[in-house]
This record gives sequence, C-alpha cells and structure tokens, in this order.
Amino acid sequence: MSGFDNLNTDFYQTSYSIDDQSQQSYDYGGSGGPYSKQYAGYDYSHQGRFVPPDMVQPQQPYTGQIFQPAQAYTPTTPQPFYGNNFEDEPPLLEELGINFDHIWQKTLTVLHPLKVADGSIMNETDLAGPMVFCLAFGATLLLAGKIQFGYVYGISAIGCLGMFCLLNLMSMTGVSFGCVASVLGYCLLPMILLSSFAVVFSLQGMVGIILTAGIIGWCSFSASKIFISALAMEGQQLLVAYPCALLYGVFALISVF
Amino acid sequence: MADPHQLFDDTSSAQSRGYGAQRAPGGLGYPTASASPQSAFLGDPVSNMAMAYGSSLAAQGKELVDKNIDRFIPVTKLKYYFAVDTMYVGKKLGLLFFPYLHQDWEVQYQQDTPVAPRFDVNAPDLYIPAMAFITYVLVAGLALGTQDRFSPDLLGLQASSALAWLTLEVLAILLSLYLVTVNTDLTTIDLVAFLGYKYVGMIGGVLMGLLFGKIGYYLVLGWCCVSIFVFMIRTLRLKILAEAAAEGIPVRGARNQLRMYLTMAVAAAQPLLMYWLTFHLVR
Repeated sequence: MSGFDNLNTDFYQTSYSIDDQSQQSYDYGGSGGPYSKQYAGYDYSHQGRFVPPDMVQPQQPYTGQIFQPAQAYTPTTPQPFYGNNFEDEPPLLEELGINFDHIWQKTLTVLHPLKVADGSIMNETDLAGPMVFCLAFGATLLLAGKIQFGYVYGISAIGCLGMFCLLNLMSMTGVSFGCVASVLGYCLLPMILLSSFAVVFSLQGMVGIILTAGIIGWCSFSASKIFISALAMEGQQLLVAYPCALLYGVFALISVF
Repeated sequence: MADPHQLFDDTSSAQSRGYGAQRAPGGLGYPTASASPQSAFLGDPVSNMAMAYGSSLAAQGKELVDKNIDRFIPVTKLKYYFAVDTMYVGKKLGLLFFPYLHQDWEVQYQQDTPVAPRFDVNAPDLYIPAMAFITYVLVAGLALGTQDRFSPDLLGLQASSALAWLTLEVLAILLSLYLVTVNTDLTTIDLVAFLGYKYVGMIGGVLMGLLFGKIGYYLVLGWCCVSIFVFMIRTLRLKILAEAAAEGIPVRGARNQLRMYLTMAVAAAQPLLMYWLTFHLVR
C-alpha cells in the first residue's frame, strides 16, 4: 500500500498552478516527460514525480484519486481517456478536479475567522468553489432586483489582478493568480450573507452600516489570514487586509446601493 | 525548457496516428477526417491536440511575459519599496500627519544600499502611496455618490486625472532636477513615492468633508497641507541639498540657492495639488 501513501501525500503536495506543474514536469526526464507532454499540464504531469507509472500499473488498476485519473491508462499510448473503455473512466467530478470535501474544508476555514488557518490548504488551486460563490452572490443580488453580474465579474477580475500584483511584490515567495483568485473567491462567502440580508431589509440605516462594516471586516480578515499563512508573511496581516477590505467594500457598495 | 518543443512533439504524434489528413490543404480529407469535427468532442486526436496547442500557447505566452516584464517594470527594485510591515506603515502615517517632532530624517544605509522600509521609518515606500491612490479614487466615488453625481465612468475619470497630474509632477520635477544639475540619489521611484504621500492628506480632508461639511474639510485639509509641506521640505532637503545639509552650515552659493528654491517649489506644489484635486468633491 505504499502506492496509496504516495498518492495521498501527493494530493496535498500539488503545486500552486497549472503552469508550475507543467514546468516542473519538464525537469523529470524519461518517464515524466512523455506523459506530461501528452496530457499537457493539468495534474497528469506530476505522475513523473514519485514513481514511474509503469511500476504502479500492475498494483492499482484504478485508484480513484482526483489528481491522478490517468494512472489507470497505459501511459505509453497517447490517447485521452475518451478513447478507452467507458467503465474505466473516472467520475465526472474527479475528472474536473472538483473535490467537495476540500471545498467544504476551505469554506469552514473562511467561516471561522478566529481559527488559525493551515498554510497548505491553498496548495490546490480550486476555482470551482469561488465560481459557485460568485454566482450565488449574483443570484442574491438578482433577488434584490439588481442585475449587476457584469459589475461583479469586472470588479472581481480587477481586484484579483491588483491583489496578485501586490502580493507578488510584498511576499518573499511569489503567488500564482489562481491561488489569489481562489482565496478571494472563498472569502466572498460572508458577502453573500450580506446581500441576502439586503433582499429583505434595507441596509441604508445605522444598523445596515454597522452590519456592512462587520461583514467587510470578516471577509478581509479571513482572506488576509489565509494569505498570511499560505505565504508566510509576518507582521503584514493588516497590510494585506486593507486592500482586501477595499475590494470587499466595493462589493458591499453594490449590495447596499 | 521543453515548452517550445511540446507543440512539435504533439503534432508529430497526432500525424503518426494517421491524422495527417487535417494538414492536407484543399481538404481532400479522408472520410474519418470529415466526420470527426462533428464528433470532435469525443474524438481523440482533435481535442487532445487542441488542448496541447492551447496549453503550450499559454505557457509560451507566460514565458514571454516573464522574460520581458523585467525590461519594462523593474520588479526586484519595486520589491524593495513594498518590503513594509504594519509598524512601519503606522509610524509613517503618523509622520505624515504630524512631522514636527521627528528629529532624524536621514535614511540609514547598510553597505551602500539603503535599508528596507521595514527597518527605517525614513525610507520611502510604495505601499502607502498605492493604497492611498486607490482609496482616494474610491472615496471620490463615495463623495460623488452622496451628491448623486455618481456614475461608474466618473470613477475612471477621477483615477485617470489624478494619475495624469502625478505623471506631470514627476516629469516636471525630473526636468528641473536635470536642469539644475543636482547630484542626487533620488530615483524616479523614490520621487513617485514622495509625491504619492499627499493622497493620504487628501483622503483625510475629503472624509472629514463628508462627515462635517465644508468647515471640517477646510480644517483638516489645511492641517494636512501644512504637514505635507513640512514633511516634503525636511525629506527633500536631505536628498537635493545633500552636501549642504550634511555639513549643516548654510552655504550661500548660486547653485545652492537654486536647489533651495527647487525644494521649496516642490513642497509648495503639494498643497496646491491637494486642494485642486479635492475641492470639487466637497460641496
């Protein structure tokens, strides 16, 4: 069962970005090379990292791990899994890389702002959760009569780009765009609470202002906490929280006005 | 890197699988080739090749950007200006609002290079100016919103006009520094940092104006104008009038007088711009 251990630990050792993986895969000559070229990047490439797949082949016909679906297939023939047997295909969610358990864990981290975050949870760049949250935010805005999906997407794109530049300049290690987008998307969750509250009550009174300020603080605190632990930046939490607060403040402006 | 080669490998293997028909000009095509676009989604070679091509293109693009970004934006130099921590930002903001009690304005050096802003409150940084600029644009939007004059493109207009004034200032000061032939270690990025500090005062003024009306706006803006004037004089004196300041005795030469006038002009331009960029936001 050593193979299983390899697979389990490797699950968390996935590097930040697609490009990082494809770049790393080229460092491994022989066995890593052809597979990475064939599958061109997303997560199939790091097979070459630990065990040459032809050694793993006889032991585990199909492992069911999310990031190694291609292990079940003979890596020498350059075929995607569409061409293989129907029964050998991994489940759709595994193929897409959506792991509900991980999404739930990350959501819980956001929802407990005072709990210390684990730095390794952001190792897999997962944009499925943030996409869901963005759509939910737009949907709650729609319920309040504001059809502003365009603004939400535009602001999140610009905000993510700005945070990406800032974090790359401020931290020792760099950060990938996918990681930034993923963290900011997850921390949008309390904002959904605010906008759903705005469906029923108007937020323009004193209570609304206090609630809005509290939610913005919660979102930016969680985001900065995750960034700090993932990038190991000391003494900069407030500095990271401030631009996050600006970004979430713009979202709150959309919700309130 | 194997990135540039990936494309060639993939196409050759696709060809070896008998998909060379796609390359035939004029579309003679084998029957399989013509049928496959319809079933291309589940068809093996097309999607595989497209995926490989797309990702190799993306990887190539990223490589190109990474290689060339250093030519236009000096990333490592910029990293120095962002090496800040919360204590530094707190102390610097305090200095910007109350520079009167601070004694030593000299930047500490460590073996010929200035120390990172984390370790010396006198070093310029770019975090505060950048955040202050963005906050200024958002606060301007808020101010216009409370006066019912808000529209999203006005935000862009505010941002670009403030940026234009900043660029103009930087160019004017660089030109005058060049004409006066000052031997200074004031780099362009340093200058941008110093000129960006006035946005902090502007934000303070506009916020007070929103809360307390015109009286609050004028009071706070006046205070911030005087503070930034003193701050700029004390900081630039050490940069532009380097030799005279180091000796501590006032040297009366024509060159030195010119430099003093230049410092005064730069410092005096700050309050003027602060007023110019904010008075239309507070009614």
